[in-house]
Amino acid sequence: MADLRDQTLGFRLRREWPAYIYLIPTTVVLLFLNAYPVAYTVYISMTDFGTGGKGSLLYYHYIGLANYVTALTTNSSVTLTLLENSLFWAAGSVALFLAMGLGLATVMNQELRGRAVYRTLILLPWAMPAFITILVWSNMWQYDYGIINELLATVGIRPIDWLGHADSAWAALFITNLWLSFPFYTVVFLATMQAIPKDLYEAASIDGAGSFSRFGRITLPYLAPTIVFVGLMGFLFTFNNFYPIYLITSGGPGISTQIFITESYNQAFGSVGASPHLSTAALYSVLDFVIIVAITVVVVWRTDLTRNWLK
Amino acid sequence: MRRRRGRRWVRLLRAAASHAVLILAVVFALFPIYFIVITSFSTIPIASITAQVLIPKVGQLTFASYRAALYTQSPAFTALLENSLIFAGSAAAIGMGLAAFTGFALSKFNFPGRRAFVYFILIISLFPSFLLIIPYYFMFAKLDLIDTYPGLIIPYSAGAVVFSGILVKNYMDSIPDDIEEAALIDGLSRTGAFFRVLIPLCTPVLGLAAFLAFVGPYTDYALAHVFITSSAKETLALNLYAIATGDTGEQNYGVVTAFALVMSLPIVAFYIAFQRYIIGGLTLGGVRG
Amino acid sequence: MTGLRLEHVTKKFKEFTAVNDVSFEVKDGEFVVVLGASGSGKSTILRLIAGLEVQTSGHVYIGDMEVDDYEPRDRNIAMVFQSYALYPHLTAYNNIAFALRVRRVPRDDDPDRYRRRTREEIDERVRHAAELLGITDTLEKKPAALSGGQRQRVALARAIVRDPEAFLLDEPLSNLDAKIRSSARIELKRLHDQLKQTFVFVTHDQSEAMTLADRLVIVDHGRLLQYDTPERVLRDPASQFVASFVGSPDMVFLEGAVESRAGAASFVLGPVRIPVRGETAPGPVTLGIRPWDVSIGPENAPGGIPAVVRGVERLGSSDQLYLELTAPGAAPAPGVSVRAMGRAYENQVGDSVSVSIDPDHALFFDKDGARVHSLETAPPA
Ligand SMILES: Nc1ncnc2c1ncn2[C@@H]1O[C@H](COP(=O)(O)OP(=O)(O)OP(=O)(O)O)[C@@H](O)[C@H]1O
Ligand SMILES: [Mg+2]
Repeated sequence: MADLRDQTLGFRLRREWPAYIYLIPTTVVLLFLNAYPVAYTVYISMTDFGTGGKGSLLYYHYIGLANYVTALTTNSSVTLTLLENSLFWAAGSVALFLAMGLGLATVMNQELRGRAVYRTLILLPWAMPAFITILVWSNMWQYDYGIINELLATVGIRPIDWLGHADSAWAALFITNLWLSFPFYTVVFLATMQAIPKDLYEAASIDGAGSFSRFGRITLPYLAPTIVFVGLMGFLFTFNNFYPIYLITSGGPGISTQIFITESYNQAFGSVGASPHLSTAALYSVLDFVIIVAITVVVVWRTDLTRNWLK
Repeated sequence: MRRRRGRRWVRLLRAAASHAVLILAVVFALFPIYFIVITSFSTIPIASITAQVLIPKVGQLTFASYRAALYTQSPAFTALLENSLIFAGSAAAIGMGLAAFTGFALSKFNFPGRRAFVYFILIISLFPSFLLIIPYYFMFAKLDLIDTYPGLIIPYSAGAVVFSGILVKNYMDSIPDDIEEAALIDGLSRTGAFFRVLIPLCTPVLGLAAFLAFVGPYTDYALAHVFITSSAKETLALNLYAIATGDTGEQNYGVVTAFALVMSLPIVAFYIAFQRYIIGGLTLGGVRG
Repeated sequence: MTGLRLEHVTKKFKEFTAVNDVSFEVKDGEFVVVLGASGSGKSTILRLIAGLEVQTSGHVYIGDMEVDDYEPRDRNIAMVFQSYALYPHLTAYNNIAFALRVRRVPRDDDPDRYRRRTREEIDERVRHAAELLGITDTLEKKPAALSGGQRQRVALARAIVRDPEAFLLDEPLSNLDAKIRSSARIELKRLHDQLKQTFVFVTHDQSEAMTLADRLVIVDHGRLLQYDTPERVLRDPASQFVASFVGSPDMVFLEGAVESRAGAASFVLGPVRIPVRGETAPGPVTLGIRPWDVSIGPENAPGGIPAVVRGVERLGSSDQLYLELTAPGAAPAPGVSVRAMGRAYENQVGDSVSVSIDPDHALFFDKDGARVHSLETAPPA
């Protein structure tokens, strides 16, 4: 019994080594196209690349955490605005997704004539490429020729400068984003609800539970893991969802709807002619990443979400 | 009797309310799409759009915008389409291959370091892809790959690799191990079993992985905007952005929407045809039901 | 076609020992059945032979060759899985032909070089195997379109179409419904008689094991308890566990003690004494007897144990009677304690009878379930 041929690392390696071969392409891709660029971004965020005055695009210097210090002191009001906006954008959107998704799924989760038709029609916004529909929405929100103001005019409402004020700009963003995403959430919640065993409800009815109590005692607990999962995914996705803000408000007015990712892109590529503020762009990238990782780690730790992937 | 009648009233009211809610949702969902479709059959400059376009008169509907979008644009629609297909098609093929290999290794092997690898790819994939564009620009400039086909295909291929790798892994997990074992007994190596048995069994998920790897690049603006400088490599998405945001108010909105519709049609068809399957895949098995 | 041998094979999964120091040899052409309860390690034994698992210690031989470091494909073994594991994307024909297409064969002109089989060769073999199993009509269907019985035949055909060293079958009949299962059993036996190949067959169904086996490997908790022909396992079980596991109807067990008086040992159960032959140390033992070695006589027959019939199970040719021993001290608690074969019309529920036990067929076990003496030391039955 001394001979433990199947328990040694050598044995496992001899049996499992092909896995490493299969992972080589992906690993190379990830190192070259993810890990290295991320490290490079972190490095750039510690230089004066593009912000150190003349010639800083050709000759830039390592300046340690100076950019971070600036961002948190002299520039803290901008950083804070970006942080607030990013969180508001992501959390607000997810709250709307979940509310509308759960609401519609609950309505659709009953015997209803034409349920399949509703389902397919509701899915259409999700099936259209987002880049295209966001472009259309951005036209729809225009002050002087947008169809939304034209429609409002037919009922006697004066045109609203949607993108000219912070509040209405956020409203336009949230409505657009809700339109983009509610179909997916509705259908996912509906599918999960339909998988709840019917006898659970029957048992609860016999116990005298009304429909609200059944929703609270059966539907919600059953949906909880799904809500957490798609909620987190939605949050991560929205936190870095670039096109709605970039194409509709461009962060405006001012920076009142600017989030990390759009500000970062603008700093790097935005202003034609002006010198790109690459270190600032990198700085916001890193802050964005750190926040995302922190949130993910906390949620995953507390909810065991990755069990499927690690199995 | 009275109680039953009461219940029936409640039920009818409930059904009516449900239909009302769903009809509102459908109106919300379809309005922009209706708007796109209806304007695409007209030829109105953006600045003169009014609510009247929403109720078209039959005689005014015209294919002129489609003709303009497809034939009289410059660069030509077909040239744009060709570029988009080259970029997105290559990315889909490469991305699908990467996903297949990754999924196989993660699903059917228990190699030392597996857990660490999964954590690594999950964390690395949290870095927003739009922000990778900045370092990419400098990396690819150094490699002289700006404004080349490989220069875009390479980053595009990597775009969905983690997501689709896990997608394929989850799917392979659902293929019983004994199918693969039967192939080993029948005389194949593990690699042979992968190519001759697992890959054919994974065609649905590989199709989905390819599709998802296609849609991203097909509709990408952010990276292409930075990487493509010559009009010879311009894509559908870049051109759509250009004609949609002319900012003069003079551009013909019918052409914009006709262009957009033609460009989205294959994607929409695919999404609708495989909706259940795609939604299952998009929730990565993290959702039960 | 060759024999197989396991030598002190142990398989651990982490801390859990699934197969514990198992050794046995399967002769060329033999039909060996591995019998054990669920989780006893039967499948693991097959997988170790096939090379799908590698043992923690010990050796596996195919023929005379130690194959510990061989990949499954190099062991040239055919296997039928419990789930059949047919390739869902291939037709029955292609499932059967799969191994033939994959494996190469020595060339006629130069046996050191290998070639693919020709399409005609493959077709001939597939059709032959399909004919043997009566599935010629279903060859173009995919597994999803086949019935359970047809899938099982396709799986068998996939195994026999090759020239393997041995066949491993992991509960191939357990997914069939009861009716086809018994005919499939007979067909399988006939197939073995035709092929004259080495079969190792796993099951937890003892009657299946008894029907099919040339020899039985009985395992429990990863340990080999007995390796012998069905007749001997039945008549001469190595332990109380084996005795209770095999044979139908189940063996009857009675708790008592061996007493030695004037050089002659006997089993004492209340007022009843049953002579014990051979060397048996005094002390508490369990007597085991097959119901068909328990005979029923009229009430108060000399040497009989008084009992009352409590139930009758009609089996057909003879019926099984459930009896409660009524002699004072004979039964530890009231209730059915003995089963015997008899005639339902001769014995009705409530009848008082007497029961006698054939001492030549009585087995004795100590409190750990080990045999107190084997039949070898007892006089021939
Ligand atoms: N890969 C594995 N990892 C961990 N434990 C395992 C593994 N394979 C088998 N086991 C354990 O080893 C024991 C024996 O398993 P095995 O499948 O050989 O039993 P079996 O006799 O075939 O049972 P059944 O009749 O249910 O098929 C079981 O307790 C099982 O849980
Ligand atoms: Mg088993």
